[in-house]
Amino acid sequence: MRTVNVIRAQLRASLSLAVQYRLDFVVEGLLAILWMAVTLVPLLVVFQARQQIVGWTFPEMLLVLGWFVGLKGLLEGAVSPSLMNVIEHVRKGTLDFVLLKPVDAQLLVSLAKIEPWRSIDLFGAAAIFLYAFRQLGRWPSSTDLLLAAAMLGTAVVVMYSIAILVVSIAFFAVRVDNLLYLFQSIFDVARWPSSIFRGTLAIVFTYVLPLALMTTYPALALLGKLTLPTTVGALVGTALFAAFARAIWRVSIARYTSASS
Amino acid sequence: MIEVEHLRKWYRVHRRPPGLAAALRSLFHRPYETVKAVDDISFSIAAGERVGFLGPNGAGKTTTLKVLSGLLHPTEGRVLVAGSTPQDRARSFLQQITLVMGQKQQLLWDLPPSETFLLNRAIYDIPKKEYEATLAELTALLELAPLLGKPTRQLSLGERMKCELAVALLHRPKVLFLDEPTIGLDVSMQATVRGFVREYNQRFGATVLLTSHYMEDVAALCPRVMVIDKGKLIYDGSLHELVRRVRPDKRMIVRLTRPVERRDLESLGAVVEHRDAEAVVQVTQDALQGAVARALSTLPLHDLTVEDPPLEEVMRDLFAQGRAA
Repeated sequence: MRTVNVIRAQLRASLSLAVQYRLDFVVEGLLAILWMAVTLVPLLVVFQARQQIVGWTFPEMLLVLGWFVGLKGLLEGAVSPSLMNVIEHVRKGTLDFVLLKPVDAQLLVSLAKIEPWRSIDLFGAAAIFLYAFRQLGRWPSSTDLLLAAAMLGTAVVVMYSIAILVVSIAFFAVRVDNLLYLFQSIFDVARWPSSIFRGTLAIVFTYVLPLALMTTYPALALLGKLTLPTTVGALVGTALFAAFARAIWRVSIARYTSASS
Repeated sequence: MIEVEHLRKWYRVHRRPPGLAAALRSLFHRPYETVKAVDDISFSIAAGERVGFLGPNGAGKTTTLKVLSGLLHPTEGRVLVAGSTPQDRARSFLQQITLVMGQKQQLLWDLPPSETFLLNRAIYDIPKKEYEATLAELTALLELAPLLGKPTRQLSLGERMKCELAVALLHRPKVLFLDEPTIGLDVSMQATVRGFVREYNQRFGATVLLTSHYMEDVAALCPRVMVIDKGKLIYDGSLHELVRRVRPDKRMIVRLTRPVERRDLESLGAVVEHRDAEAVVQVTQDALQGAVARALSTLPLHDLTVEDPPLEEVMRDLFAQGRAA
């Protein structure tokens, strides 16, 4: 119950923080729409010349892009700002206050700051899905939807775990802002289906930085093309990855020495 | 309430001489040095006590507070606070303590303090009724009413400190660690903070461990003081006894009805200050009675008072003794 209350109170505080500045709210909202439009450009360029790429047609590829837009919104709207906040805490030594609270520190830092205008991305993603399925001329079955929801869950967990790993490094290295930006840039790769990549890159983006898990698998699920072994593998892999990130976070917290006085 | 036995906290720090060449060398070879921030200290504090923690910068005060509040793991020794080992950071332990740092703040910068209060209410799982009662009490004691709705960044340093105290005490902790809570505050705000801490201590029977650079804080608040220097506890006892031990002399302040010669005063003791009709004379404890009698009989007295030497001087002498030893 306490956990739920804390989450609610944090969301409340970060929402009030976000709407504190009205002009920001408008400008950031407009920027979010603009960015979404820009995201579509590479896809439109590529499909002007050909019908499909490595087995993916334009509407199918749009599904991957839909997930990408939605997750990017989540990453830049909730995960990154909160974790940048932790890095700031570590640098200034105010993480002390977080660690002194009788609540899990990871929970406290994870929702500390959100940018609600990025929820426009979620609407954008929904619009892209609708358009894609109209182009495909069919709608996903309820099983597909359920599976896609599960895959979305794993995608969010994986993304968050990667971010937590990056932030854990902050306890040792202090300045890791750039690492978080690097992750955001690498995440751009997830706009393409993972089968586009061959050889080493394919392995890297499936197992090392599981970008395939984030956008390709949910898209496959919506198309009814996700196989059972892949689903189970994704679920187990995600659980392991999250546990690993959590373990590293705990080790880092213990190593925290706090800025002097 | 607080038990500390043979606490040691050592840091390993990387040292290098200045200059680019040294910086480059240190990329490959790093000489490390051990800094003994806290070196074998033991003490115990009973529930409801107010204890002042004194020492020069870098003496180990903040490190000790951080170990006691569970932020740092001790290198060696046993620490028990409110029945728990702090570094385990058990929920029941964290629920009972608070740490206020004069140089750091937990209030959300862009939001009014009331938002941070609500967040802490959820974090400490404070029932609504209790929260409202505590908040009303703190608001009255600290005169917070006009501040709660303003964004934190628009508050003055003193106003912010009052809100920091309130937010740190919402859950009615039993143990208060206050690290320089009055730093940078003006005299009247310092007095407000002091008065509030004393009031809280008396009303809730809370244990207070306070560090401060302002001797006034300690003199006004803490019947017991602990002095730490270079990681070692060099004194633990009453403030009065500390003053008596370090500076057994007294100061006789005389106001005269007319100016007198310096040599008339020198027969009483060492003249510290002498202005026309006013003087401060330093006298040893043993000679005090005789000196007062002599002053009464030989000087055109308007007024005579006897005081302890100023605390700042006591401290300076104490640390100087420590260095010489």
